[in-house]
Amino acid sequence: MKGIDAWRALLGALLGHYRRHPGQLAMALLGVIVAGALYSGVQTINAQARDSYARVEALFGSGDIDTIRPIDRPPTQADFARLRRAGVPVTPLVEGNITLASGQHLHLLGIDALSLPPDIGSVAHGATQRQGESLTAFLRPPYRLDVAADTVRALGAEAGQRLTLVNDRELPPIAIQRELAPEVAVTDIAAASALLGRGTQLDALLLPHAAPLLATVAEDYQRSPRRAPISPGQLSESFRLNLTAMGMLALLVGLFIVHSALGLALAQRMPTFAILRALGVSRRALVTALALELLTLGLIGALLGLAGGVVLATILMPGVAATLSSLYDERVAGALTLTPSGIAAGLAMTLAGTVTAGLSLLRRAARVNVLAPAHAGSEARSGMRQRRRLATSGGVLWLIAGALWLYLSRFASADSGHGLLLGFVLIAALLLGAALLLPALLDAVLVTLTRLLRGRAVIIEWALADTRLQLPRLGLALAALLLALTANLGVSSMVGGFRLTFLDWLDQRLSAELYVHPGNVDTITVTDWLRTQPEVNGVLTMHRSEARTADGLPLDLRAIDVSPLRQRYWPLLESTDAPWQNVNEGGALINEQLAHRRGLTPGDSVTLKTPSGTLSLQVAGIYADYGNPRGEVALSLATFAHHWYTSGGESSLAVYVNSEAAAEVSARLRQHFDLDDQAVIDQQSIKGESQRIFERTFAITRALNTLTLAVAALALTSALLALGRWRRAQLAPLWAMGLSRARLAWISIIQVVTLATLTALLALPLGVALTEALVGIINVEAFGWRLPLHIFPVQMVWAVLLAALVAGAGAGIASLRLWRTPPRVLLEEFRS
Amino acid sequence: MSRTLLGLLVLATLMLSGCGDDDAPAAGGHGYADLGNEAAGYAQATPGATLAFPVDHGTHPDYRIEWWYLTANLEDDAGHTYGLQWTLFRQAMSPPGREQDTKAPWASRQLWMAHAAVTTPNGHRASERFARGGSGQAGVTAAPFAAWLDDWELKSTGEAFTPLTVAAATDDFSYRLELTADGPLVLQGNNGFSQKSADGQGSYYYSQPFLHASGTLNLDGQPVEVHGQAWLDREWSSQLLGGDQAGWDWFSLHLDDGYKLMAFRLRGSDAFISGSWIAPDGMVTPLAGDDITLEPLEQRDVQGHRLPLRWRLQLARPGRDITLDVTATIDDQWMNTTFAYWEGAVQVNGDHKGVGYLEMTGY
Repeated sequence: MKGIDAWRALLGALLGHYRRHPGQLAMALLGVIVAGALYSGVQTINAQARDSYARVEALFGSGDIDTIRPIDRPPTQADFARLRRAGVPVTPLVEGNITLASGQHLHLLGIDALSLPPDIGSVAHGATQRQGESLTAFLRPPYRLDVAADTVRALGAEAGQRLTLVNDRELPPIAIQRELAPEVAVTDIAAASALLGRGTQLDALLLPHAAPLLATVAEDYQRSPRRAPISPGQLSESFRLNLTAMGMLALLVGLFIVHSALGLALAQRMPTFAILRALGVSRRALVTALALELLTLGLIGALLGLAGGVVLATILMPGVAATLSSLYDERVAGALTLTPSGIAAGLAMTLAGTVTAGLSLLRRAARVNVLAPAHAGSEARSGMRQRRRLATSGGVLWLIAGALWLYLSRFASADSGHGLLLGFVLIAALLLGAALLLPALLDAVLVTLTRLLRGRAVIIEWALADTRLQLPRLGLALAALLLALTANLGVSSMVGGFRLTFLDWLDQRLSAELYVHPGNVDTITVTDWLRTQPEVNGVLTMHRSEARTADGLPLDLRAIDVSPLRQRYWPLLESTDAPWQNVNEGGALINEQLAHRRGLTPGDSVTLKTPSGTLSLQVAGIYADYGNPRGEVALSLATFAHHWYTSGGESSLAVYVNSEAAAEVSARLRQHFDLDDQAVIDQQSIKGESQRIFERTFAITRALNTLTLAVAALALTSALLALGRWRRAQLAPLWAMGLSRARLAWISIIQVVTLATLTALLALPLGVALTEALVGIINVEAFGWRLPLHIFPVQMVWAVLLAALVAGAGAGIASLRLWRTPPRVLLEEFRS
Repeated sequence: MSRTLLGLLVLATLMLSGCGDDDAPAAGGHGYADLGNEAAGYAQATPGATLAFPVDHGTHPDYRIEWWYLTANLEDDAGHTYGLQWTLFRQAMSPPGREQDTKAPWASRQLWMAHAAVTTPNGHRASERFARGGSGQAGVTAAPFAAWLDDWELKSTGEAFTPLTVAAATDDFSYRLELTADGPLVLQGNNGFSQKSADGQGSYYYSQPFLHASGTLNLDGQPVEVHGQAWLDREWSSQLLGGDQAGWDWFSLHLDDGYKLMAFRLRGSDAFISGSWIAPDGMVTPLAGDDITLEPLEQRDVQGHRLPLRWRLQLARPGRDITLDVTATIDDQWMNTTFAYWEGAVQVNGDHKGVGYLEMTGY
């Protein structure tokens, strides 16, 4: 090839095809776009979540922070002054949620920038740049409201603006502080105290964990780890890893579409290639031109895909934000922020995917025989070889998956940290192995069917043999269908099973009709009063506090009364012979999360720091504690009172009343002790809230799952369309032998539906295996709790029907074309 | 000895604009030259006022800046010399009566800053603290006298102003000293009004230069028993400067025959020099620019700043002139605090031997 003109002519000849068949171009482009959109959408969400997480974590720095409070009341300004003058470097914090006139919420932090330790984190970044106007503006009326840029955008506000609260109070002028966590506003403590109506009262006195609480004041104050507004990073990391896995799956499935659409375009241009080659176009020039075409397609598709990804992320982001905030109490910015590196990664990944999908086609084009198009029989033979190769690789992957499974369920240590990643490797090996084995398995089934049906009818025998012949070309699309179906089945059984277990557990644990948080009112007084009420059948006391293990892990602490009522409603997963007696004698119950993290079983012991030293507690039992990211230890009220004599924390009461009298008792209780609405909560509201959080948690997983399935259906349809032209050559002789076009069309549909149904049937056991991997390995590693395996037969039937329907629809579209093919065209097939 | 510069720095960096609700930066930019024009609404230091004690040991919230400034030249039993600094600054962020909400629990127009430093034979350590007014974290009471920010505290041990104790603690050093006085309070300048520029601006300024100190320094947890002489400066003002003064050189010297010398130079296109010659009985002779020469002898680099670390001071005294050679005990006594300056122990040779402190700012 020489000169621009020659190239122009070549490209013109190649691309002219798409002018005649714009549908093919659209399909190929759609594949790239869908793949790119799903991938970059998920990546954008992930990046956002990670960034938000990092910002939340940075809010109070990476160091451990404790809270200091007087033994019997909330801290005040006087405690702050007293502790500072005693040489304890505490800093005051006022915090609360505020509702803007627009209905939006912000978490308001009131800080004293002057007493914050210099390394405390981003909470005071803007304020502690102790130079220029910055500090003065922060400390002086009208004060300043530091907010992250994405939060400002989400509020529809701008720097300098003063927002109004629902109660008509005006907030300080907004200043943008990039590093701040989403939905968090930081202002001077004077402004925050006034806005939140705190007076001299504080919400917390913070002290770096390394700073000592001097002996002169130690006995008047209680020190406990600050209940971090965020959970350990590993937990939400697992959620994001989940999303990443979904994104990769979506990319893979999308690229199947690209592959089949390009395959179609290529197949139809084979004669053109042959002519071009005959005209003297070199093999290299042809491949280069096609590669150029592929790259252009990939680039355009990737760009559009990126745009699609942003749209997708924008739609899904609020859900993800809500999920992360309810599941992990993590604040994630609802408004998207795109980073150049994120854009580049999305584009590169999609482009690389497209090129990979097109590579085998380029190889095929390079091998174009100048004299004759490929022969069906030879293709079938090479297909068989390929099938064997794929099956071998698939088998190896399954072996790897099996070995990993064995390792993870038997030998993996709890705290090793790499369990989650290995779990995902396992799942990848399992699914990919299945996809590679699929053609061989389908072929085996078809061979068996042929043997069983031998001699019944020639047309059936032919149809089965013909189906086998189609396998190599449909294999990829069927593999996509298999993956999508398996993922769908696995994830929805996991979610469904979790739901059953969770609801069951909620029913058991939330057995009382009313839950009371007496706040400043003495718990014993409230309990005594409740016991005098005729409708009340029983009252259980619980005291919540925080502690650290001897090696510094922050834990929740629950002190409970060990009554028969409690024992009835506190199911244990594992226990010693007499767990409650053990608890009464100074033992403890621990939640599953702590047991998993520390590899504890009943009979082991756990050592906690107490105000008087360390305390070793025997583990009497392990209980389920779904939804709690933290480790928890439950011990008897007596043990707690003995070792944590300075009784910090919060008490609550579970009140068992005749259910019809619950509302009345609740009202009477509130009135008698002048408690606010939040102090008495009925069972239904708690359950409702828990379920709402649960549903939200898995909404995104479900949405992505459905999208993936839709993409798989699209991939199958495009593969079938690609097959059309080739099928015509196969079917023309049968038509010539007297089979009507309608009959042939029906046979084609039945063939494809059979393949899809077989694939779906194979997806069923695979789905169960995936569910087991998710509940038994991934969940344990990610969340610290194990779930029983639940199987949902109805869902399986639906999956098979869905697969058949999708295949039928796809084949229907392809067959419609065949049916409409004029006889003249079919006759053409015999010309060469 | 005045600490104008620090006040100025604080002012320059924090107090740029006018007060009240107008947040626009004041016309004229960010230099400290503006300070002279920014005093509207504050009480003013004027000549002729009479200082009253113990009231004036306390705060003067209607003035813009104020400080309680203690330096000490100490030595241990082995004869090693040490320097010590303890300072509390008060700074008003806006004039009295113009701020809303100052009655609210955390709202205050006062800002407090404290510096603590120790100079040992082989190094210098410094630390700083900040606090808002009104919370009780920092403050000053006049009688009995106490000035504090956190556990950094200077206070009378009894009903009288002296004796005093001073204490500060940081991560790597702490100190606690007892201070007794063997001389009276000294009113600087004109009966306590210290002029700071040719056009008459100034501050209220008194000192207690006759303090004997003894106590313990803790350096990296190692206690060192020390004793020596200390000097307390008190100054408050709203409008210290006019014009283009760029920095300060300030001396407070204990001479071996019981005399004390305070001298300062405000550097600018037109340097302003002033000082006091204080007799052992507390009698003060004000020194005007004509009476003193302050001559830098040797410049050296300290943490990126070129500073005169050896000086010659010449005083015209009736009878005969006095020449003093003043040298930093060690070069690096740089206060690496948010508002940075050089403040350190010096040795005096020449016609009198002695020790003292030198403050240099604006370098």
